[in-house]
Amino acid sequence: MKTRMKEYRARLGITQEKLAETVGVRRETIIFLEKGKYNPSLKLAWNIARALGAGIEDIFKLDDE
Amino acid sequence: MKTKIALIIYTVIGILGLMLLLSRENLYVALALVLGFLLLGYREIWSLIRYRRLPVIDERVRDNLTGAMRLTGVFFFIASIVLILLLHFDIFKGVPTSLIISGMLVVMGIMYVIGYNYYDRVKPNMGEKSLRFLKICLVTAGLSIGTIALAIALHNMMFAWFGIEDAVFFIIGLLGAPAILAISLLGSLAAYAGGLLASFSGSCRE
Repeated sequence: MKTRMKEYRARLGITQEKLAETVGVRRETIIFLEKGKYNPSLKLAWNIARALGAGIEDIFKLDDE
Repeated sequence: MKTKIALIIYTVIGILGLMLLLSRENLYVALALVLGFLLLGYREIWSLIRYRRLPVIDERVRDNLTGAMRLTGVFFFIASIVLILLLHFDIFKGVPTSLIISGMLVVMGIMYVIGYNYYDRVKPNMGEKSLRFLKICLVTAGLSIGTIALAIALHNMMFAWFGIEDAVFFIIGLLGAPAILAISLLGSLAAYAGGLLASFSGSCRE
């Protein structure tokens, strides 16, 4: 799983901690997600995409896409 | 919420167990229990001290807890059967049963800590090749334990039934299989340590 979370987060000027607080997860989870080392549930992916003002397909992409 | 309640219950049981162990002067088990709590809950303890609240238990943490509990459960099941068999054949002559059970519980705690760290830090930092290598090592270790028991049983059966002093099963049981067990355990330990080290070196803070 590849993500563009870092890019969108930087664009909005949000820290990992702030994003974690907004979507209700730990900061480590955001780190794991940004590194593509954790596959989120649909609910979490939806919440993150909404917090970053984008669609799920803009933020998360499968490796073979 | 459910996980939070489970954690609180877990802590209360832990404290009660600790008090019981201290009252029975099982100091080393009590020490192991405290160490286990510190190792497992250092993030929670730090958050309670610094922010005066428990950190969020999100889906990733829940997955790790479930994985570790499953692993410990399987270990407990297998260890109990082995322990019952060993006690039945009076292998631990003169050793108090409470000490044996305490020892198993300490090992179970260690398994839980290893399991939690595996799901939390090691697995996400391992590549496909390392994961495959770890699986092969663990399966080989399991098979070699079985081989040791089988070879010893067959060696004894050969002597009891046919009066033959068998050398093949003796060598397999006491040299071959233990050597494979040691190598596979070292291999899995190396793979685990590799994943753990990668998690420390790759952690970023932004």
